[in-house]
Amino acid sequence: MSILRKPGLLLSFLMLAVTLLAMIAPQLLAPYDPYASVGAGRLLPPSPEHLFGTDHLARDVFSRVVYGAGLSLTAAGLAVIGGVIVGSVIGLVCGYLGGAIDFVAMRFVDVLIAIPGILLALIVVATLGFGPLSIAIGVGLGTAGSFARVMRSAVLRVRSEEYVEAARTIGVRGSGVLFRHVLPNAARPVVSMAALELAVAILSVSALSFLGFGAQPPAPEWGALVSAGRDFVAIAPWLSILPGVVILAVVLSVNRVSRFIGGDR
Amino acid sequence: MASVANPSTFMSIVRFLLPKIGQCLFVVWATYTVAFLLIHALPGDPVLAALSVKGGDATSTDPAALDALRARYGLDGPLLQQYVVHFLDLFRGDLGVSIATGQPVVDMIARTFPHTAALALFSLVLGFVGALLFTVWAYIARPAWMRNVVTQIPPLGIAIPAFLSGLVLISVFSFGLGWFPASGTNGFVSLVLPGITLALPTGAIFFQVFSAAVFDAGASPFVFTANAKGLAQRTVVVRHVLRNALLPSITIIGLQIGYLAGGTAVVETVFSRDGIGRLTVDAVLARDINVVMGVVVVVSVVYAVTTLIVDALYGVIDPRTRTRITRTKAVSA
Repeated sequence: MSILRKPGLLLSFLMLAVTLLAMIAPQLLAPYDPYASVGAGRLLPPSPEHLFGTDHLARDVFSRVVYGAGLSLTAAGLAVIGGVIVGSVIGLVCGYLGGAIDFVAMRFVDVLIAIPGILLALIVVATLGFGPLSIAIGVGLGTAGSFARVMRSAVLRVRSEEYVEAARTIGVRGSGVLFRHVLPNAARPVVSMAALELAVAILSVSALSFLGFGAQPPAPEWGALVSAGRDFVAIAPWLSILPGVVILAVVLSVNRVSRFIGGDR
Repeated sequence: MASVANPSTFMSIVRFLLPKIGQCLFVVWATYTVAFLLIHALPGDPVLAALSVKGGDATSTDPAALDALRARYGLDGPLLQQYVVHFLDLFRGDLGVSIATGQPVVDMIARTFPHTAALALFSLVLGFVGALLFTVWAYIARPAWMRNVVTQIPPLGIAIPAFLSGLVLISVFSFGLGWFPASGTNGFVSLVLPGITLALPTGAIFFQVFSAAVFDAGASPFVFTANAKGLAQRTVVVRHVLRNALLPSITIIGLQIGYLAGGTAVVETVFSRDGIGRLTVDAVLARDINVVMGVVVVVSVVYAVTTLIVDALYGVIDPRTRTRITRTKAVSA
């Protein structure tokens, strides 16, 4: 297999597999209870018993990171899925109908893309209140614009293909043409972009959670773990840096795998 | 430049700039509209939310007092009226009153803006220079695997979370070596670490554009000629390759401002600096929708004005893009 000759890609797949396991069954990976003090002492440095050390309440940080995967990655995943759905619907309708609706809607999409994603997310969080779901909605909204644009241009390309013409000629209804013939053939660029956007969403979600807009303590969200460790960065830098490195590793792995999906082997 | 006095040239410049200024206004209006729609379409009462964060007995205020508060913060009356009135207020430089502090939003932003502008400019310069150095290194690196390694490094800058790079820099250079302060807003020394943190993603974006342009130029006939006639490699790289790579970087300044606007929120929090980003974070924590709205509008103005300046400058820097002015001149002559 050619994938075996790409150590980086192999490592990325491995990393994602472990992360997925942490999301589904954290108790298999985490050696300790993420919420309870392990009694071994506070602010311990990394050791074989406590891979990432212990925090100010003597909780095992590695276990907290493992349990945090669920909250953080679900929020990022929801953001991308929401963005894909909203963006695709807008792009599909605009590209297929054209005309005035297309023009007006796409101008708003332009603005949605021009506003920095994090600002959009901050507006949403300030209005809706804090929590992983608000963050997911905010981040998802920021990605919806780009998905709309990509979907629209894909639809425009596919719309004039011969098989679409043929379907229309033999009398397939509008919705049939749209969902049977246009959508499946226009979806590919959106899917490969969704994979890339997932990495961006993980970064945005963890940044917003770091700023304190996500799940409230003691919930072990990734960004919040870094933020909690930040108070002890002078005496126990590993508390904030190791969870941060996990986020980086996951982002890099998602990037690598999404490039693989996108066709860059 | 004597031709500027020529009325037809002047008119063509006006004709070139007017639509761009219109575009500027559109961006600000549309941003304001999207933000306004979001705030009022999502569930939740901004005044109640802000009061509940303030806590205490403030939440049990009677309806009359609540209405008075809404009026004070400009959140009363029909939505359409709010929308129009606040938009017109923008032109008078009035961004409303902060719900959390009671101060005019304009004053709060004006007080913090210089700190953020200094940080953003510094990191733009750092990112630009860093990306340039990496580009040259990648261009001259031999053998091929070495070049591959070099081109793999800068993209990391965009994958690394700003809080991670910031905290690593703090633990190494503040608590480890004691070279730079870990926090604060006092002079240039306090600018270095946050500047580097912010320069990582900006540099990564610059590098993407530079390297694409450089390897394009490297494969072009004029570089082949320059090499063939025996020019020193340094001359070829500087005079022929880099010059062509710098132009596209100007067009992505708008994109960079987007990144900086998001990045400063995290970086200013990590380094406990005063600035727009920290102001925004505090405003969101206090559910102070008026300040958040003010920041969004100011960022869109900065974005629009920068884009306008870049567009106007582009014609000066790259003669090939002057066609629109010269074409109208040729027609009118």
